[in-house]
Amino acid sequence: MAFAMRVKVPPNSATLQEARHQTFDFFRTACRSIPSIMDIYNLYDVVTPAQLRSTIAAEIRKNAHITNPKVIDMLLFKGMEELSNITEHAKQRHHIIGQYVVGNHGLVQDVATKDENISNFLKNFYKTNYF
Amino acid sequence: MASALRTAILGHLRVPVVANGSKLLTPLWTTSLRSMSSHDDHLEKTQVIDRILDIVKSFPKVDPSKVTPEVHFQKDLGLDSLDNVEIIMAIEEEFKLEIPDKEADKIDSCALAIEYVYNHPMAS
Repeated sequence: MAFAMRVKVPPNSATLQEARHQTFDFFRTACRSIPSIMDIYNLYDVVTPAQLRSTIAAEIRKNAHITNPKVIDMLLFKGMEELSNITEHAKQRHHIIGQYVVGNHGLVQDVATKDENISNFLKNFYKTNYF
Repeated sequence: MASALRTAILGHLRVPVVANGSKLLTPLWTTSLRSMSSHDDHLEKTQVIDRILDIVKSFPKVDPSKVTPEVHFQKDLGLDSLDNVEIIMAIEEEFKLEIPDKEADKIDSCALAIEYVYNHPMAS
């Protein structure tokens, strides 16, 4: 139902230019569904729409070096699948927060009260082995 | 909202009409000043400029000191095309618009964005 609403043009990008255009279309679709995502998973206190937009842009930019249009189509298909899963509430709040809000370096400075007296040593220790 | 209030009040006003067949003596200033008009719901240009500059300045990859109303996103601020699209989406969210793809592709700089939003009838 939600997936039918957002069916994209069949993945047959002939040129890199077309694939670029499809990528931007995908990004715009994702950004336009951010308000409903924040509503479904109740992310109002955790993250702002601007941060989610930046996260989506970062994910897209991770694959920015690809030049084969077919590979780009495949990546966009996977992206659309992920977006559909999120918007039809097939995921849960902790999935969204873990995957898109708090990255590997703790984007959210949302420290619980019991962690206030944690020392810098412990913080670094929890983060990585090599500090 | 003020215009809705005005129309509600106007619906309840009763103005006595005097038939004056000979000559209509209306002072000139009453025709130039339209105090009951609801056609000024348009945004002020200064408001539009301020809000758009705020959006661009709060973008994390942008240096706020370089932002002027004529700055070009990719040439002056060193952003790439994906950042361009992101800024346009932020503008869409702020002014509650939906910018079609063809127009969005052309918006490359602050000046174009300000002009587009100012001329859009649904901008709020």
